[in-house]
Amino acid sequence: MTLSVPSDSRARPSFLAEQSNLIGLAAIILLFWVLFTSLAPGFVSTFNLFALSRSLAVDVVIGFSTMVVLATGGMNLAIGSIGVCAVMASGYLMQTLGLPIPVAMALALLLGAFLGWLNGFVIVRSGVNSFIITLASASLFLGGMLILSKAQTFNALPPEIAAFGRMRWGFLSPLLFVALGLGAALIVLFRFTALGREILAAGANARAAELSGVPVGRAIIIAHTLSGALAASAGLMLVFRLGAAMPSIGQDWLLPSFLAPVLGGTLLAGGYVSVVGTILGAFLVTTIRSGLLVMQIGNFWLQLFLGLILLAAVMLDRYRSVYAERRSLGRRDSGRRNSGRRA
Amino acid sequence: MSTLTRNMSFGQRFLANEWSALAVAIVIGLVALAALSPAFLTEFNLYVMLRSFCVVLIVAFAQMLTLAVGQMNLSVGALGGLVAIAVGGMMEKWGFPVPVAILSGLAIGAAGGLINGLLTVRTGINGFIITLATASAFTGINLGITESIPFYNLPAGFVAFGTGRFYALPYLLLPPVLIAIALAFFLARTVPGRQLLAVGGNPQAAELSGIPRDRVIVMAHTLSGLLAAAAAILAVAQLGSAQPTIGVDWLLMSFAAPIIGGAALTGGHISVAATALAVVLIVIIQNGMVLAKVDPYWVQFLLGALILAAVGLNRLRAVRAGGA
Repeated sequence: MTLSVPSDSRARPSFLAEQSNLIGLAAIILLFWVLFTSLAPGFVSTFNLFALSRSLAVDVVIGFSTMVVLATGGMNLAIGSIGVCAVMASGYLMQTLGLPIPVAMALALLLGAFLGWLNGFVIVRSGVNSFIITLASASLFLGGMLILSKAQTFNALPPEIAAFGRMRWGFLSPLLFVALGLGAALIVLFRFTALGREILAAGANARAAELSGVPVGRAIIIAHTLSGALAASAGLMLVFRLGAAMPSIGQDWLLPSFLAPVLGGTLLAGGYVSVVGTILGAFLVTTIRSGLLVMQIGNFWLQLFLGLILLAAVMLDRYRSVYAERRSLGRRDSGRRNSGRRA
Repeated sequence: MSTLTRNMSFGQRFLANEWSALAVAIVIGLVALAALSPAFLTEFNLYVMLRSFCVVLIVAFAQMLTLAVGQMNLSVGALGGLVAIAVGGMMEKWGFPVPVAILSGLAIGAAGGLINGLLTVRTGINGFIITLATASAFTGINLGITESIPFYNLPAGFVAFGTGRFYALPYLLLPPVLIAIALAFFLARTVPGRQLLAVGGNPQAAELSGIPRDRVIVMAHTLSGLLAAAAAILAVAQLGSAQPTIGVDWLLMSFAAPIIGGAALTGGHISVAATALAVVLIVIIQNGMVLAKVDPYWVQFLLGALILAAVGLNRLRAVRAGGA
């Protein structure tokens, strides 16, 4: 699924390179499935597949949350903090105020969108790098949430919450279909709407976009608002899964939030996203995590594997694009552009 | 700019300085805390404050060096944790003498930084992603080796260094002070130090003037790893045990101090003194919170607010300087 703004101002994967990236990713996932299934038969048990589909749903949405901001060439380090703010807000609204579930969920999503909007607004108004702003706001949001909630878990939520979390469609969790639905909406946004194209244009070349009349500031603010709402959705999915609103949610989101889109080929520089790639990237991460758990290698080595896989994936991608460039440019030594060594 | 500075009075020059706001904030904080809390100026409280200053300062320097060349090191904390348990393990399990363990720990840190630097330069991939990945790998090795169990039985002399003090001055303060002086000298007076700032300031211009850009970036990452290791070893001495969790909360702090001290993410603009003052301010705020018995969660909140305030202030100064 190629979603990019045509512009020759920057290098971006060609259609073929993009497809080969997705096919390569799918092949790696398949390889791991074969490996885990043969090593640990419990891996394809309906129980494990159900658990896998639930965590996949969350990983996919976390990945989307970072992806929409990467589209503008920015970053959002506050995803975990926004997620946990939404989680605790939903817990407070349902348990303490006794609001109906849909109302509480809608308000929590709104809070997430608002916090994201706040990020975007400050970034655009101050002109300061989104890394710094969201690093600071992550601390601010998390601190504010802890001060207000006193780090107390809401664990007397309506029973329907946990029931929905346990619900199965076949051997899959309905949460996964929610995540895929969000993915479909994002494909429509980036491919078919003016707004989506504006966000990508702002990321590809902010100056050029500005000069051609794209409201760059507005596009960045909307991307951050969307990112906040998606982070809140991921948090709420965890509330369904855990049946409780915990203040510890979101603190380990940073790595997976970047893993999924980057493995899927989304550029850090902006201007290009791959929704299907992000889903596959999240799928790879969830597969490895689940497989290592089933094989009882446990969480301790998991971090090492995820780190090495991210490294391997980005390097592979780098060399593939360098190779493609060399082939298309003939003898010009463009591949060494970035290593910049001089004789 | 220099002729402008010469024509200004001392007061104006002070206000135009990057760290003037920091210095004012620190003085106000000190006076307010001394007036409000009788416990603040006691010898023991000063000792506690100075002690918590040590590790944070070196962590901030570790990040500052990568910021100097326009890079980031998200693996500062992860590398620190790995070095901490490596040093603890070498002393407890293998019975290495303290100096050998410390030197090996520093070597591991430098090697980790070297890996970061080489990967960044050779692949041309954003340092953010590279160090995000290596951070995960370092943490994985740390947890895989220790299974989250700390090393408690460290040599008595090493632990004594971590708690010893001369009146209000902890022995622990000695390494950070020496490192700060060495860094200031390195950046101001040595060729590699100047090259580091030149590459950060304008990579193209630096490269055209014959500075080996890639080598300088690798050097910055290696030094960053070395400093992360030094911070980790101090943290082990301070805690009296090698905890696998050392470093997990360094990330925010490592960026907060240099940025509050006026460092730009684009590189080339860092200050040892301003970074140190920023750490002093953070430590004073933390201490004030403890003395006022405020929820510790407020520290997290205020740190975020402080970064935003500092960034906003720098922005304002830049805008006014540009307009004048």
